Parts: sequence; C-alpha cells; structure tokens
Amino acid sequence: MRVGAARAIRRASLYVLAAVLAQGCASKEGIRCAITDINKEFQQQYERILAEKGNRRFTVSPVDAFAGTRAALFRLGMRLETQDPDLGLLSVAAPAPTPLTQEEWKLVAQADLPMMQQLAARCVGLPAYLLKFEPEGLEIVITATILPAQGGSEISLTARMRQVTPPPSGMPRREYAPPTGVHKALDKLWEQIERELGVKGRPI
Amino acid sequence: MSDPSYPDALPAQHRLHWYALERVLGQGGFGITYLARDSNLDQAVAIKEYLPVEVATRRPDASVRSRTEDQGERYRWGLDRFIREARTLARFDHPNIVRVLSVFEHNNTAYMVMRFEEGENLAALLERRRTLPEDELMRVVLPILDGLELVHNAGFIHRDIKPDNIHIRDDGSPVLLDFGSARHSLGHARTVTILVAPGYAPFEQYYSSGENQGPWTDIYSLGATCYRAIAGIAPMDAIARSKGILGSTREILIPAATIGSGRYSAGLLKAIDHALEFSEKDRPQSIAEWRRELSSGSKPVARAAPSTISVTPATAPRPFPASPAAAPAASIRGPLIWATLGAVVAAVVVVLMLQPWKRGDETDATKEKYKSSQEEARLKKDAEDAAKGQRDEAARLAKAEQEKKLVDEQARLETEAKKKAEEAKARHAAEAKKKAEAEKARLDAQARKKADADRAEAQRKHEEELRRAQEAKKAEDAKLASAAAAAAAVPKPPAPSAPAAGPDLIKQAEEASKRGNDAESLALYRKAASAGNAEAQYRLGEIYAAGRGVPQNNSQAYIWLSLAANAGHAGAKSRREQVVGTLQPAEIRQADQVVSKLRPSAQR
Repeated sequence: MRVGAARAIRRASLYVLAAVLAQGCASKEGIRCAITDINKEFQQQYERILAEKGNRRFTVSPVDAFAGTRAALFRLGMRLETQDPDLGLLSVAAPAPTPLTQEEWKLVAQADLPMMQQLAARCVGLPAYLLKFEPEGLEIVITATILPAQGGSEISLTARMRQVTPPPSGMPRREYAPPTGVHKALDKLWEQIERELGVKGRPI
Repeated sequence: MSDPSYPDALPAQHRLHWYALERVLGQGGFGITYLARDSNLDQAVAIKEYLPVEVATRRPDASVRSRTEDQGERYRWGLDRFIREARTLARFDHPNIVRVLSVFEHNNTAYMVMRFEEGENLAALLERRRTLPEDELMRVVLPILDGLELVHNAGFIHRDIKPDNIHIRDDGSPVLLDFGSARHSLGHARTVTILVAPGYAPFEQYYSSGENQGPWTDIYSLGATCYRAIAGIAPMDAIARSKGILGSTREILIPAATIGSGRYSAGLLKAIDHALEFSEKDRPQSIAEWRRELSSGSKPVARAAPSTISVTPATAPRPFPASPAAAPAASIRGPLIWATLGAVVAAVVVVLMLQPWKRGDETDATKEKYKSSQEEARLKKDAEDAAKGQRDEAARLAKAEQEKKLVDEQARLETEAKKKAEEAKARHAAEAKKKAEAEKARLDAQARKKADADRAEAQRKHEEELRRAQEAKKAEDAKLASAAAAAAAVPKPPAPSAPAAGPDLIKQAEEASKRGNDAESLALYRKAASAGNAEAQYRLGEIYAAGRGVPQNNSQAYIWLSLAANAGHAGAKSRREQVVGTLQPAEIRQADQVVSKLRPSAQR
C-alpha cells in the first residue's frame, strides 16, 4: 500500500526541519504535531476504507483460499515473511510502493499530497508545502487471514508501512498509507486473488 | 448550419417535427432548402422553407416574420401560394420530377418536404466536362420533357429551368428540381415573380407581367440548357440579345447550328435554335412540338433559319417586344442590319418618290438615282461586312472551342496523372500500414508469448515453492512424529489427556532449544499449543514477539498470547498488553477474529 507516506513524512520532517532552520520559526513540536495530524487523518481514512473493502468471502475451501491468497501476493511481488496455515495467517512484505507500480504510485502522490500538505501546514505553516511522497526506505507489510466461513472462506487484509531503519529524530513512527494508495492496493490485491481463486469475492 | 453563407438558415440539428435538419443545400429568393433526416422513416429528405428574403426575415425564436407590417400581406399571400403549390406539386408522381412528399406550417412559415435525390447536379457535370455528346444530352433532356409536359398540362410552368435545377441521379436518370418559383400560369398576373437565371431566362421573364409566359418560357430555358451543353457556355443573356436585336450593340447570339456544326446532328441544333428564338411566338409552343423537333430533327414550320441572311430589305422585322397577338412569321434572329438596311432602302425610295425635285429636274433625278444606287451599294456593303463579321466571330468561337478542347484534354491528362500518382501513393501507404500492422501483430504475439512464458515460470516457481513447503512440512511432521515417538517411549502417567501431554512437549521443546535446535523446539511448542497448553501458547507468543528463530510477527504473537490469556495464563495477559501497543486497530481486529474462530481447533 502506500508506503511512501511514511517515507514522505520522514522526508517531510527533514524538509520541515530545514525550513525551521532556514526560517527559525518552526519548532520540533510543530513537526511532531504535523506528523501526528497526518497519521490521525490517514488512519481514519484507512479504517474507513478497510471497513468497506478489507474483507471478502469466497466460495472456496480455506485450504484453497490460503493457497490462492499466497499465490496472488507472490505474483504482485510480495515476499513471504511468515505463514501459518493452521492459524490461517499469512504475512508478506516488499519494498514500497509494491504492490503498486511506480506509475500507480505517482497517481497516488498526485491525489493525496495536497491533503497531506494542508494537514501539515496547520502545524508548520508554509514549509509543509515542501513535503513529498517518496517510497524509498519503506516496506509494505501485508497481513492476510484466511478463516473458514459458512459456505467457504473469509479473507481479511491489512497493510502497514514499515521503516527499514528507524528515524533518528525520535519522531512518531506509526504511519499509515495515503488513502488513495490503500484504495488502489486493495483493489489490485482483490483482483489478483479473485483471478487466482477463479471466483468473485463478496464484500463483507 | 451555422454557416455564415446562410445567416438566415436554421441551425444544424434543429428539429421540425420529426425532421432533423442537417445542412443547407441552397438558398434562393424564395427560401432555403435543407438536407434533413426523417427520423420516422430514417431517410434523407430535402426541405424547402418559405423565406422570401425581400419581405421576411428570421427571428431569434426561429420564426419567420415579414420585415415590416406593410409587407405582411405580401408575405402571407406568398406563403399561401407556396403551400398551395406544394399541394399541387405533390400530386405529380413522375420519375423525372422531384417528388413532393409533404408540406406543413411551422415557425410562422411553411416547409415543403421533398425526396432527396442523390447524384450530381447537371451544372456541376457541365462544369467538369464542359460539353456533353448528343446521345448523353438526349438522355437528360427527353425524360425531363416528359416530366415537364405533365407539369404544363396541369397548368404550371417551372420558370427556372437551368443546369443547376437538373439533377443527374447515380443511375444517370435526370430529375427536375426546385419548383420553388413555379407559379400557376392561368389567370394570376400577380403570381409572376421575376426570378431569372441570366442566359437561361427568356426575355419575357424580364419584363412580362406573366400573361405571355407559358410552356415556351420553359422551352427557352431548356433550349438554353442544351445550348450550354453543346457550346460549353450559356447563351447570351436575353437582355443583351435584346440590345443586339435592337441594333444598339453587335451582341447577337451565335446560333447553335454554327457552334455545334459537325459535332451534333443538324436536327438537334435546329431544335435548340428554335427553342432559343427571342420572341416567344417564334418558339415551339408546346413540349410535344419541341420533342418532335428534337426527335426527328425536322425544321419547324414558318421558322426562318437563324443563320441565314434571307430577310429581304422590304420585310420589316417584327417590332420588339412583341405582343402575344402579333406573331410575325419571319425570324428576327438574322443580322438585323439586313432589316435595318431594308427599312432604310425603303425609306429612301419613299423619300425619293415624294421629293418635289424628282418630278422637275431629270438631271437631279438621275443624280439622286445615282446617289440612291450608291447608298444602296453602301448599305449592301455594310450588310456584307456585318455578315462577314458574324462569320469571323463564328470562326473565332470555333477556334476558341478547339483551343479549349486542347486545354481540356491537357487538364484531363494532368488530372489522370495526378490521380494515378495519388493512387500509387495511397497504395504505398496501404502497404506500409499493412506491414506496420503485421509487425505490430508479430511483436504483440512475441509479447504475449513472453508473458505466457513469464506466467508459466512464475507458476513453476510457485509450485516449486509449494512443493518445498510441503516437503519441509513433511520433514517437520516426521520430526514431530519422531519426537512424539520419543516422548511416547518415556513412561507416562496413565491419564493421557491432551493437555496433560503439554508439559512433556514443553520440556522436550526446552531441551531442543538448549541444543540449539530452534526448529524442533518450535515444532514441539506448536504441537503443545495446538493441543491447548496455555504455557506453550504463551511461549510461542514470546517467540514470535521477539522474532527468536522466526521472523518477528506481532500479529502472530498477539494470537498466541491471546489464546494463552484466554486460558488464564497471567503472564500472557500482561505480555499481550505490551504487544497490542505495536499493532494497528485493524490488525488487532483481524487477529481477534482469528482467535475467536480458531479457539476450538487450537484447543485440539
């Protein structure tokens, strides 16, 4: 999913710090405030999107659903982190913006960057407009659960961004992907899973 | 439409009932003709809108209104005529007369719906080819005569026959268009409107109030159309001809018999010249009469050959314009100088006869006679000069015709060469396009093949991975079986409940961990945890939370710790609180779902 946000925020922090140094008017608290606000807003939207398209029910057995989900994630470029077929738990990861392509990521940035800048601007002012979405240095981690359900299986997806190296600034590190990135990634994942399973899923 | 050439026209897509206007076909003094589509029958039609621009104008609401109140009566009167004529014309059903399909009132005006004829206008055809051979010309004219006869018999005359109003369908059949200026010819002096096409309209259309117009008027226009088709130019305009005939200029129509000599039959040329007689009474009086001349080539009775100079000086030309009652038998087409000469000679003779000195003085009389003969000779010489001038003019025109032919031939050859070059260019372009398409298809096929190969490779890798996973699981199962067997070998209490096996497995797992065999340790913990041992579940949670020997995974840790906590493991509860802080709410909900669904199987 949109991983770049974390990276962007990290970069944004640098930009903001640079702006602070340059202007001598933005504080560390301002930057923390900006990142917190962005996280909060992104989290709210992420939760809303997941409620809408985070779960689907399929008329296939849990075993088939597990294999299909695993295959779909692999095909989109994700690598296995951990799997437990007994629990029905599967975790995969890949460097951002995977599973999105660079082109898709550009569209995400175009769509969500203005919102992020406006959110940050409330705390740091004009330097917020130096913020950029950059996926470098971030990984996307997707967790899938595949559980038995009446008449088939229920698959649930979540995603988070993981920094390859922790920020030295001590700034908040819980970041959510930008909403458009979440939308696009979920659509892409479900499309691929449905292709692998050969059946359409029903949103729950 | 939105065409600046037709500022009064209705816009494209404007709807008149079930007719959708598409574009303007043309505009005349009486109205605008549109190409439209009949949406009921899904066919193209031509719609003529009554809009006499002299007295009416278009309003922003698309209605047509008279320009002034004074012109309102005139406009309304014309509108009534337009509608009445449309109704009358709708009765004609002839293949060579445009078919009127309907008429209706709308926008304070009226619309005549006609069949739209595909094909080419005769004017355009003549513009392109300049002249037509005789057989082709006959194929156009004779069918038109049939249709026109029908119209004349109904008491109508067309009054605007010209190449622009003759349409040649794709099958070569002609159709006479645009009766917009047609007016009932009987007893309606006011119906006459001067709508003349220079060169094609006879003189009576320029000045007449209508009573001396009739079939001969249309015959003149058809003759002029034929003249255009054989000469390559329209005949001289009737006004100019009238000046020539009256002697104020030398503009005299060169007869078709002269211009078309050698290229067309004499009968046809004579029939054309007959139709083009200046005076209406000198022309054929009916279509039937003229058709006979065209078909048989017979010379009409009492018609002077227009190219001959046979008018005697004593025969005075019929005064012009002639009244319908006065119908001179002789043609006034010939060089009027001869007529003038005759009149002058006669006058001289009369004057000489009346001169008083004629009776007294013989010498003077002789002198006068001599002078008279000299004058006569001079006039004769003038007439001969005029005739020579006409011959020279005819020769000049013939020469011009020949030169024009050469130019036309040259243009035709150039056009053909250009066409061939364009065809070759188009052929090359088509070949290049075909090649490009073939290359694209090849590349597409190649790309598809590669994609298929990639997909197959990915599938192969995936299957290989699954196979390895299965093998690993088998190995793991074998180890577990081995461990279980080893455990089974150890003497146990007789109560073999599943949870009771947990502590042993935990102990074995601890030992395996001490030996550094994390995989075996993990497998044993899993077996005990799956059997519902809370301690094993807690320890698994710790392993996943710390990433000890396994990839660190807080969701997995949370699941096992939750299971242990739910079973009453105190340490698991506090540890779970630590782990839950690292998870997103959505991840917690996801893991809780697993815990709730999995509890029965996890307790197995």
